[in-house]
Amino acid sequence: MEELKKNIVNKITGHFADAAVKAYDGNRVDFTVKKETIPAILFYLKDEMGYNHLSHISCVDWIEEKEFELIFILWSYTDHIKVFVHTRIDRENPVMDNIDMIWRQANTYEREIKEMYGIHFEGLEAPEEFLLEDWQDMPPMRRDFDTEAYARKTFWDRREARADAQDVRETITKRTGEELPDVAKKYTR
Amino acid sequence: MINDKESQKIVDIIQNFARKHSLWVLAYGTGCGAIEIPPTMTSRYDAERLGVRGAATPRQADVLLITGYLTTKTLKRVIRVYEQMQDPKYVIGFGSCTINGGMYFDSYNTIKALDRYLPVDVYINGCMPRPEAVLKGFAKLQELIQAGKADGSKKYKENLEWYRANQKEVIPVWRMPEFNW
Ligand code: SF4
Repeated sequence: MEELKKNIVNKITGHFADAAVKAYDGNRVDFTVKKETIPAILFYLKDEMGYNHLSHISCVDWIEEKEFELIFILWSYTDHIKVFVHTRIDRENPVMDNIDMIWRQANTYEREIKEMYGIHFEGLEAPEEFLLEDWQDMPPMRRDFDTEAYARKTFWDRREARADAQDVRETITKRTGEELPDVAKKYTR
Repeated sequence: MINDKESQKIVDIIQNFARKHSLWVLAYGTGCGAIEIPPTMTSRYDAERLGVRGAATPRQADVLLITGYLTTKTLKRVIRVYEQMQDPKYVIGFGSCTINGGMYFDSYNTIKALDRYLPVDVYINGCMPRPEAVLKGFAKLQELIQAGKADGSKKYKENLEWYRANQKEVIPVWRMPEFNW
């Protein structure tokens, strides 16, 4: 396992000068690269190293640093190692290369990220809408989207809970005459 | 000799008695609460002894069971389904999500109060309600039907404009046909 991981790290850092490595225990290796390198490094991992399963594309909103982070998670059936490829893109102008010619299923993830974070994948061919229908506000998974304020604005205000909300346990103990166990007493109002 | 009003009363009693014992439920699970329906229907709780059973299509169904949260996307389909159902029809709101949003109270795409959009006859609270509670809900609905008080669809017809306005508030692009009774 360690040897395999070392082998991957050596090969990747040898080929891609901008790849920063972060090693984890177990079967996981992380690389951070510039966004221009992404198609090349994914092609390399898939064709040369046998990482032919794209598990997921994930996105993180680093609002304080004005960046989005995209994470491509790959898996090899022969090595049994997960490779995470991270990259950061500008939050103001979120443009990324489309990679669905490498893995067809990337199309689905990209559509979702496009809808939820508003990242534009250049050359992505897909229908406009994916999960949300007729969405007119800012992409809802961005951290500056205030979902509670939006819900208050769009839907009716939330009903209050019942005014006579009472603890069921007390009622039951009164009825049966049982003693309430100490564990339960702690949580009783 | 009995007059018309009284004979109508007797007909109503018989009709309601028949209706309350054959509640066909549309099998359209909208939220996570739908997982409580299989145990309700199968041998342990056996809802069929109350005449409650699944129907395949909206046109055969009497009861629309809204099992939990409704996204605005699902709401569109549910409205169409409800309007396709034949009278008499009843709606049961199932789980706290339908009552006040439940734990999705701050979600950007689930509605918070079902009765603003569809006429609800019976609410069953709980997150999620156990099969006993579901059966209680059905029993309550039967009571209402026998008493002739489960008139949600009448309410819907009379206040169609109000319901439509609420529906269009959360469905900005209305691509569905306007309903025509
Ligand atoms: S009330 Fe609870 S169980 Fe029912 S749909 Fe909402 S979250 Fe799920």
